[in-house]
Amino acid sequence: MENAKDTFYITLRNRLAALNPDRTMVLRGLLRPGILVEENEIVSAEMPRDVFVLRWKDATVDMQQPLALAKLQCEVVYGTDGNADNAAMDRGRLLTAMDAELAGILNPGHAVKMNYAQEPVTAMSTSLFWSDAAYGPIVSEREHMQRTATVEVFSYEEPEER
Amino acid sequence: MNDTNGRALGPTRVADTLLRSLGGHSVLLRLPGLATAGDDTEQLGLSVPVFQDVAIGPVVYRKLRATVETDGTIRAEMLVSSTAIEKQVGSLQFESASVFFAQAVGVIVDGVLMRIESVTVSELFGKPYLYRLELAAPLALTT
Repeated sequence: MENAKDTFYITLRNRLAALNPDRTMVLRGLLRPGILVEENEIVSAEMPRDVFVLRWKDATVDMQQPLALAKLQCEVVYGTDGNADNAAMDRGRLLTAMDAELAGILNPGHAVKMNYAQEPVTAMSTSLFWSDAAYGPIVSEREHMQRTATVEVFSYEEPEER
Repeated sequence: MNDTNGRALGPTRVADTLLRSLGGHSVLLRLPGLATAGDDTEQLGLSVPVFQDVAIGPVVYRKLRATVETDGTIRAEMLVSSTAIEKQVGSLQFESASVFFAQAVGVIVDGVLMRIESVTVSELFGKPYLYRLELAAPLALTT
């Protein structure tokens, strides 16, 4: 499943860099696209703003297929405080822009699975595919608006992955 | 507003003296190394950065004020002299104390790495003299 999680993140990250090069963040001194996998970063008490945070949740494996089919649930959490120069009155528009960006980077909903754990990175035999985002309700607290979208990611487990 | 005639140093000296008289302990602040450009392995959790522990003191770790939250997390607070922070911020070339704390993984107190939940600063005459860190113990220590 790790290859599927890695491929999903790298695919979305590269698509985001192409779709909106301005959505960036600085993490440990490095400027990078504004998307991260929560479990791969240092634990933080605060959710980053204007950034997509991937959070892996449930996982199931269907063994009734010729190749085991793994289904992974990925929450994409993102929020904004709006622009301080605009007294945060643009926060709704900024969140809607992030909604659209998420839909954009999820399309098309498939990618060739890659193995990033070895050098050089190699393409695997199967692809992973995923659903459209199911957008949850907006949660607001003062000027902060946050939404959690859920994506189902499917991946066939290749023999060498077991 | 900044004070230019030296009045601002008074609260700092008082804070330093107070913290030293209450034990004057030192703790270690753990900082991650800079991320490597063009390397995906850290973003995928395949490798971890090199960590650097820097000593800060005098501090007072206030176990008496420790509280246990409903989720079981043990919290405590620590008071740190601004003198200690300014020295490290300068030598490690951070933009500000807030960036310094934001980058930190946590504080090592008696061998336990505690996460920094929040930082508040006390100022007088436009100059910080004391930092208050709210710390959370790792879940492994939660009973």
